[in-house]
Order: sequence, then C-alpha cells, then structure tokens
Amino acid sequence: MALRPGDELRQELIALFAAGAGPGAELTEERFGALALRVFEHQFALNRPYGAYCRKRALTPATVDDWRRIPAVPTAAFKEVALVAGDASAARVVFRTSGTTRGMERRGAHHLLDPALYHASLLAAFEACVLPDGARPALLSLIPSPAEVPDSSLSHMAGVLLERLGIAGSGWFSRAGSLDHAGLATALRRHEREGTPACLLGTSFAFVHWLDALQAQGERFALPPGSRLMDTGGYKGRSRDVDPGEMRRAYAERLGIPASHQVNEYGMTELLSQYYDAALRDLVLDGPGEPRRKIGPPWLRALVTDPETLEPLPEGATGILRHVDLANLDSVLAVQTEDLGTDVGDGFLLLGRAPGATPRGCSIAADLLLGALRDSPP
Amino acid sequence: MIDCFWLPGLQEGDVTTWETRELGDVGIRWPVLRPEALRRVLAAIADARQGELARAPVADIVAAIDAAAARLADPADPLRATAEAALPPVTGYSPPMVRLVLDRMAADWRAPALERLLRAELGDPAVLDGFAPGSGAGARRLVRATGPQLAFHVFAGNVPGVAVTSIVRSLLLRSATLGKTTSGEPVLAPLFARALDSVAPGIAAALAVTCWPGGTVVLEDVALAAADAVVVYGGQEPLRQLGARARPGTRFLDHGPRYSFGVVGREALGRGSASAVAEAVARAVATFDQQGCVSPHVVYAEEGGEIDPPAFAGLVAGALAALEDELPRGRISGGDAAAIHQARGSAEFRAIAGAAVQVHAGPGTSFTVAYDADPAFAISCLNRFLWVKPVPELLQVVRHVSPYRAFLQTVAVAGAGERLQALASALGAAGATRITTFAAAPWPPAEWHHDGRGPLVELLRWTDLEAPPPD
Repeated sequence: MALRPGDELRQELIALFAAGAGPGAELTEERFGALALRVFEHQFALNRPYGAYCRKRALTPATVDDWRRIPAVPTAAFKEVALVAGDASAARVVFRTSGTTRGMERRGAHHLLDPALYHASLLAAFEACVLPDGARPALLSLIPSPAEVPDSSLSHMAGVLLERLGIAGSGWFSRAGSLDHAGLATALRRHEREGTPACLLGTSFAFVHWLDALQAQGERFALPPGSRLMDTGGYKGRSRDVDPGEMRRAYAERLGIPASHQVNEYGMTELLSQYYDAALRDLVLDGPGEPRRKIGPPWLRALVTDPETLEPLPEGATGILRHVDLANLDSVLAVQTEDLGTDVGDGFLLLGRAPGATPRGCSIAADLLLGALRDSPP
Repeated sequence: MIDCFWLPGLQEGDVTTWETRELGDVGIRWPVLRPEALRRVLAAIADARQGELARAPVADIVAAIDAAAARLADPADPLRATAEAALPPVTGYSPPMVRLVLDRMAADWRAPALERLLRAELGDPAVLDGFAPGSGAGARRLVRATGPQLAFHVFAGNVPGVAVTSIVRSLLLRSATLGKTTSGEPVLAPLFARALDSVAPGIAAALAVTCWPGGTVVLEDVALAAADAVVVYGGQEPLRQLGARARPGTRFLDHGPRYSFGVVGREALGRGSASAVAEAVARAVATFDQQGCVSPHVVYAEEGGEIDPPAFAGLVAGALAALEDELPRGRISGGDAAAIHQARGSAEFRAIAGAAVQVHAGPGTSFTVAYDADPAFAISCLNRFLWVKPVPELLQVVRHVSPYRAFLQTVAVAGAGERLQALASALGAAGATRITTFAAAPWPPAEWHHDGRGPLVELLRWTDLEAPPPD
C-alpha cells in the first residue's frame, strides 16, 4: 500500500503514545520540539486554510524554529472551516462541538483521518492519570455511549476506554438523554457487597444532577477503596453551578470516593489529547499533591499566553491557555483557547472557562441575547 | 480607604465585618449588612423623607441636586478628585474615559437638564407640588402627581453614572431611596450622596446607598418589603427573581440588557463626508468601551456611496486608532481579551475560506473593526469590537434586526437624508426606542424615554381633582 503523506510521522507518534505516559515516558524539550516542528511542516503543507493563516503571519516552517512560535488557531476557527491536513471527505471520524450555550452558532468540527492516533493518546493519558496505580476497576459511564452520540468526542473516548480497559461489570448508565438511576444503584451496591472498586466516568453536570437526586432520596454509597471517578467539563447552564470544593465534598460524602481519587479531566473537541488532575498520580508516585494542577501526556504541552498579545509568558504567569498537541496530526497542533490558566511549572491551574462571564456594562452580551432568544417566543 | 456606602441610621455596632478591595493605590470598602441593620436604615430614610424631602417644593429639590452635581462636575472639588482616582482602578476604564463620563453625566444632573426632564414628562412640574392643570390644559380637572414613598434601586454593571441618574429621578419624585450598587461600580453613587449631604443634608438623609452581592435574598427581601417601587437594572434572571418577590402592587421598572446598532446611509458616504462620520462612529464605539446599552455592536453601511462599506470599515478603524491617545481603551479581563482573539480569528478564517471579510485589528486587543459582507445580525464581544456590514438600501436594515425587537434600544443614524422619517418609523416598529446621531448616541438627554418609557411617569401615581363644569 502506498504511503500517504505523514504516515511515517504517524507511525512514529503512535509508537511514542503506545509506550505510555507513565513514569519514565517524559519527552525531552528537544524531542518534543523536533516532533512538533515536523507536525507543523506536515500541516502547513496539507492543511490549506491553516497554511494560508501561517503565510499571512510570515510564520512558516522556513521561519519557525521553536515550537512555541508555531501559529495557533483559535478554537472558534473550527466552526468556520474544515481544518484538515489532507482531504476532509476522507475523514473517518468527525467530532462536533456541543454548542450548548450558544444555540444559534455553528458547531465546530474536528476531522480525524485516522483515529488510531487519538485512541493511543487517550488510553495512555487515562492510564497514567486515572489508573496510575495499575488498577483495573470496572468503568461505569454516565456519559452517553458513542452509539447514541456518534459525533461527540467525549462519548467516543468513553467508548474506547470501555472497549479497551473495561473489565466485566463495566457499562453505560445513560440512555436517551437520561441517567439510569436504578441500574447505577444496583451496580454500585454490588461493588459495595463484593468489595471491588469502580471507576465512574461523567460530565460534571451529570454528576451534579445525580448527586442532587441521591441527596433528595437520602441515598449514599460507600464504594470500596480504590474506587475513583473522572469528571469533565463545565456546567454550561445545564445544571446549577457548583463550587469545586462543594463537589469534592459531595463525591466523598455520597459515593465514598476521597478527593485524591476524584480526577477532573480537561479536554475539548479541538484537542485529541487530554489533561487530568495530578491528584491521584501524585498520590501513587509520591508527587507534591498540591496544588491541584492539570497535567497531560508528554506529547501535549500547554503555554500560558499574554491576554493582550498572545505571546507565551514565563512560568508562574496567568493568561490565556494555548495547547500544542502532537495527537492533532490530522488538523492543527497548536490551538488557542478561551480558557485562563496559571503556569505552575509541572502543569497549570485551570481558572475556568468563563469568557466574559460577568457582564460589565449594560449592553447585552452574546450569550445572554442568544439565551434570551432561545427562551422567549419568536 | 474610600467608603462606598451612605447609610443614614446605621448605628455603632451594626457593622462587624467589612468588604474591602485593594486596587493598586486605592482601597474601597462597604459594610457587610445584616438584615436588621438594613431595616434600621430603611426606617431612617423613610422618617427623614417625612422631615424634608416630602415637603420641599420640587424647585428646591432640583436646586439641591444641582448643587451636588456641581461638585462632581468641578475638577477642583475633592469629591470629584476621589471619583477620578477611584473609578479607573475599580471599573477598569481609563482615566480620560472616567473624566469624560463624569463631565457628561454630571451635566445631566444640573438644573437645566432636570427642568427639561420634568417638563418633558409632566408638562408642568407644579403637579408635583400641588393640584395644577398639568399637561392636560383644557381638561376639566386638576392633577397632582405623587411619587413612591420608598424606591429600591438595584444597579448592574460598571458604567459610572447610571446609578446616580436613577437616584436623581427617584429624589425628584420625593421618594426615600435605597440604591444597591455592584462591586463593578460602587463608588460614584455614595460620592453623590456625600455631595448632596454637603448642600442639602435633610434631603441626603432620605437616601441610602451601599453594595452587597446580587442575589442576597435576605437583604433583598428586607428592601422589597419596605419599597413601594422597585427599579432594576440587570440580566433577565435577576429581573425575574426580584419581580417575583416584590410585594403585590409594587411599581416595578425593569431595565434589562439592550442591544444598539448604527446605520450609515450613502448620503454620508461621500469622499468629503465619510471621514467625519467614521470619527463619530469610532467615538460612539469607544465611549464606555462599548459596554453601554447605547453602544453600537454593528454598523450597517449602505452600498452605492462614493465610499463603499469595506472602505468605510477601514475609515472607522483608522478613527479608532486615532482615538487611542485621547480616549484609551481600559483594562479588560483575560476572558474578555480571549473573546476578542476568538472573534478576530473566527473572522479571519471566514476570509480564508473565501467570505468577503476583512479584519482591522489594533495593537493588542485595543480595537477591532471587522467588515463582513454577510448582512445577518451580529453581536459584538464588546470592548471596542465593531462589526461593519453592508446593506443595499437603508430600510433593509429593519429585517435584519426585527427578530431582536425585545432587546433593541438606540439606533445611531447618519446620512439617511430625506429617508430619516421613514427609516425611523420602520425602526420604531421593529422595536427600537431611540433614534439619534452617532455623536449623541452615548449621551441620551436627561429627558429620554429610557427603554421606551418615561422614567418619572412610570413611577408616579396621579390624583385627579375633577372641577365642577363651568357655568
């Protein structure tokens, strides 16, 4: 079979990811930089809109020799054009952003020519951060299955996790948009009885709804030691906003899962690798534990950038997060987000996803107007 | 430390905790109120109203407010100096912007503006002092206008002066007034109260101003129980919540968030005229860093003039760049800056994909003008981000904005020529409540129908004295 452009690079990356993201898997600055520049060269050549964007800035493989200077594409651009390093019609998977808070907006699309890279990356990062002790708990997913929501990257990810890591007793507990409370309770009681650990996967808003329901019923679980959970995403107006500290207490109180075993994931449709809380990994590997920072696999790096200029800032600074993800081989590796974070050296503190959250003046903000239009009769 | 509160009746021992903010050289504070302390304050301002405010002729109230406003208008006055020092770090606006806003807003609280407001709304302000023919000259009755006994104002946002304007209207109606500010702009209203106290302590004793976090139900309920009028600025959710909890029969005046835009006709797009219009557009966008409800999100430019819409966008960008020294953009949050970068990037990729889009970006996030040939309605991320869109004919603007009728407010118009009346009628039918020039857009006159309503009349109760028919 003829090699496609980038296949050699793809195989090299898959091999790198497959070696895992655990201890000893660190990538040197030089090696990461060299790989990033090769991915950039590949995308500059094959991703036409991205190439045009780079040429406008006179930042091309000929002029960029530092991975930090690779032009970053704003996440909003995924809504405007197909950012594919290759032929979009050949994509085997297309993920779409949810667009829950801005009903009128177009949804962003992320095209994957070959999902193998994505799978290798997500498995390695999940194992390193959610299963750093080598445990293999049953995976109980509050996330809808990929069969239900095929264009959701989160559902796809949960699908891969269950398929590749899910031992007997793993399963889906969200159907047709609602949580299977009874099924979940039965499964958790079994774990309690048999003393086997469970790993719950869900969005933060699904957990809030579920914990509210448990509280209303006065129900609580005492899951066996080694049980853990991965929660992800903001609340996006789909449940009440909950303070992270309150959430951690509720997880401990209602489920018996201690804070060290609550691992928050930070990911986005536009990135094929994910960050996680360092908490559990720190516990297992004797890491610092505090602050509760986000870490990713070695092939995913975060830059904190100046809010005015988007220039990378030194360690310790707070600014807008940019991610450089080698798993994004088929799209763009450098993604400029709307999220704010503080660099703490071996990771970053995520300050939230709240662009313009507090309206300052009396003019209407986009979210407010669109939300109001959605709620009011035409 | 600047005291950002004015609470007559507050007693020693009422305050055990303070909310303080250190912002560079400036510290501000206000007390963390308990419900019983707020109750005492409300009782005190209600009592004080009986003493002077309820009896004073309206001309005396106008004179008192005028004298207080004169202090805030005077650059040499210490209260004005405090406002100039505190507002930039607290609100984020640049010092020149703060001075401009203080000058323009204070002018609205001076006697000539107040007299215009009273005449515009009441015909004859004498109806506030006793029975008079009012505006219904020729009618066979006399009328008297009575304001609320106690009005509770809930402010939002950080545009300085909006709170004081609302308080001034309330005092003109002889209402004891409680104003709740936000941490985004807790400064100016208490300074106004202090200025009023220095010239008319009896009237200032009927006014209370402080800050607490929005949605503090225990305090809001105390205020709602005492008030017979509620004036609320803010988002839809706070409006709904306060409206639902107000006492039955309470006058409820809500000012939700609004959307404003501009229209430039081909008569203003000549080679000689377009620059001046672009300059006025730039000022309308730059003022309040576009955060006012009066600030335009988008300007529709008509095709067929000597300067076409894309070129006009370039002129506006040039004018915004030229304003940077005189009226610099203020400090914005990282999230607001991120929103600007996203909007710019999004527009740039539309252009790369072949859409007729051009982005004119100032240094950093200072300003952005994005021309987009798609005439569909657009919402700006604000902080000096303007959309410019083409329309083949001015009146076609109406169909793009009419779905948003419930939110429309100010439309700034230039170059409509003889079509102004027809355009204004169509825009009015589409929901707009104010049609003006770009130069005037940021500064509605004191007597404007704020969001389409008379701010005094809406709060008044009329008493008719029907005279026997003449022989």
